Amino acid sequence: MSKESYNWSEIARNPKYLELKRKKRVFLFGWWIAASIYYFSLPLLSGYFPSLFKIKLIGVINFGYLFILSQFLVAIFVAMYYTKVANSDFDRLTDELVKEIQ
Amino acid sequence: MFTKILSALMLTLLLAAPGFAEEPSKQAPQGAALVQPSASALQAPAAVPGQPAAAAPAAKAAAPTGGMPTKVKPNRAITISMFMTIIGITLCVVIWAARQTKSASDFYTAGGGITGLQNGWAIAGDYMSAASFLGMSGLISLYGIDGFMYAVGPMFSFIAILLVIAEPCRNAGKFTLGDILSFRTAPKPVRAVAAISTVTVSLFYLIAQMVGAGKLMQVLLDIPYRVSVIGVGILMVGYVVFGGMKATTWVQIIKAGLLMSGTVLLAFLVMAKAGMNPVGFFTDIVGNQLIQDHVRMNVLKDALPKAGFDYGQRFMEPGLFLKNPLDQVSLGIAWALGAAGLPHILMRFFTVPSAKEARKSIVIALFINSSFFFLINIIGFGAALYLSPQLISSVDKGGNMATLLLAQLLGGGAGSLGGDMFLAFICAVAFATILAVVSGLVLAASAAIAHDVYVNIVMDGKADQHTQVKVARITSLFVGLAAIVMGLAAEKENVVALVALAFAVAASGNFPAVMLSLFWKRFNTAGVISALLVGTISALGLVVISPVMTYPQKIADDAKKIVSTLEKKQQEGAVLAEKDLKLLDKSRTDYTKNNGQTSMVGLTAPIFPLKNPGIVSVPLGLIAAIIGTLLFRDRRAEDMFDEIEVRQITGLGISKASDH
Repeated sequence: MSKESYNWSEIARNPKYLELKRKKRVFLFGWWIAASIYYFSLPLLSGYFPSLFKIKLIGVINFGYLFILSQFLVAIFVAMYYTKVANSDFDRLTDELVKEIQ
Repeated sequence: MFTKILSALMLTLLLAAPGFAEEPSKQAPQGAALVQPSASALQAPAAVPGQPAAAAPAAKAAAPTGGMPTKVKPNRAITISMFMTIIGITLCVVIWAARQTKSASDFYTAGGGITGLQNGWAIAGDYMSAASFLGMSGLISLYGIDGFMYAVGPMFSFIAILLVIAEPCRNAGKFTLGDILSFRTAPKPVRAVAAISTVTVSLFYLIAQMVGAGKLMQVLLDIPYRVSVIGVGILMVGYVVFGGMKATTWVQIIKAGLLMSGTVLLAFLVMAKAGMNPVGFFTDIVGNQLIQDHVRMNVLKDALPKAGFDYGQRFMEPGLFLKNPLDQVSLGIAWALGAAGLPHILMRFFTVPSAKEARKSIVIALFINSSFFFLINIIGFGAALYLSPQLISSVDKGGNMATLLLAQLLGGGAGSLGGDMFLAFICAVAFATILAVVSGLVLAASAAIAHDVYVNIVMDGKADQHTQVKVARITSLFVGLAAIVMGLAAEKENVVALVALAFAVAASGNFPAVMLSLFWKRFNTAGVISALLVGTISALGLVVISPVMTYPQKIADDAKKIVSTLEKKQQEGAVLAEKDLKLLDKSRTDYTKNNGQTSMVGLTAPIFPLKNPGIVSVPLGLIAAIIGTLLFRDRRAEDMFDEIEVRQITGLGISKASDH
């Protein structure tokens, strides 16, 4: 049923598209990997270096508890930062590209 | 059309009514209690002759002797009226949604008309299951910080979904996992395998939820297991069959709203009790004698305190519950990748009109869930401090009743109106939670059967909207019935394995298949099929030989140890307490029943040491996908890569995506 109204391979060679693709890829996979490293450091550090988690920082509240809390903050930071970049950068590039094609 | 739906709804209600009313088999005046929730017979169990034995200890505990309760005893009248209110509201939503569900796209994706904000709440609702609401706070109340560590996985899983799954899937798909995977591959075999995988994952998850629901309602309402499973099942089928995605989404949103209100209120009351001082709160926990005793005797099993060891501080340190770091990493992989491959989560991205809204919905869901899990940590530690781990584990060994007990306490204590109201409210919230989660699962499984198998394989995509909706409804009905039957059959089964399995299959099969479909040019039919098959089979194979299965020989050995210890005591002339005599009896039966028996696959002990297979099965699924792809080169799939890539990056052709 679908009518091929777009020449997909032509769009795929459009310099604007290539720029958008490259930017998105670097950003998304870069941050995904960085966030994953931070995330997996939690089970690894708590499992293999438990003494680190025991260091008391604020009264009886130790590094481990604060490290878990920091996981939440890091995830929220990544989400906010991505939203900012996507809203300003990726969406703008996409709009320009779509306008050019249509 | 509408009258038909209404009459069918009435039928559902009629079916449900005897389901709930079946409980009078135990207590005479209960049928009446349902109609008139204020009937006082329920409030004074001891006054009713022929009261089931199970209620006796609860009645004793409620007496002001200061004894520890051995059971949560919600006020049935208040609880049932709250349940009925929730059922009433959701049924109104279903009627409203049913009137607007006309096309296949209405049924599966609410016509793409859900906003990012609504979808965010609905996704958050999918994550906040009864297991996290009741189970996680229970774990924290018994094992301290390890329970809190559990919360990081679900929260972090949003990162993969946000960055690499949600928007591309929104742009490249239509209703199901099969739509994404079959985009540039041989549609029929890929859809068939994708449907099998979706149904398997959803049913595993669904059965675990049904069994959990049955057991929870059994405790909360004091009704038989089968009645609660059938009741939950009928409601779930009603929501999905009549209201499709729109009703499922709104049930999910209502539940998420209720759950967050309950959680915020509970956490606020805990902090108010602690004088709004977090440092003081944790200092009190560390200094609490009961918590110190619990850590020393029940968790670390030190009969005599080690000199200079701070057992209270130990509660704030990891390793009381999570023992094996590799298992934690493996669980982490299952969360980080598995959640992004769960069909009922994937399906939620198709309900919003654009990639931008999909992005917004994930960010909102992340916010809600981060707050939720943070508050759960306050509730869990609060339960440990204000109830004591001893009391929590005496009511339920796994701590699952901690949240409920805490609500009762903070509302004013057992028997007080405030306590009863707050407990009933939290029970009703748990009930709404279960209903919402199971509905989403039924919808995902039936979409795979109706849309992928029936419409696209059997009918070659040639089915009009009316037929598609009809088939989808019939399929949902049968999926729901299957879930009820399996839920009933699995009453005595160990369902913990099923949840681990659902996540492991999603992480090892679905996730690599989706990722490579979107990002690897050469990926093809052989790649998809090998990823799904190897991912599923390896996850399944590893779980059935892992420690999460039940090993009768181990139960027999443990029982034998108890028997010999107690018999030795008896021989030494000690008179055993009634509790010990009962334990001796039970252990003897356990021993004879389990000795020489083997696990489901004929093992006496686990072969695979980890509870979570992800660390092995995810690489296996990925390698299989790559090898399968490289062995069978497919030029067509490569040629079509430009299309899927341009679509997923730019969102071009999104309205046409519903035609391909």
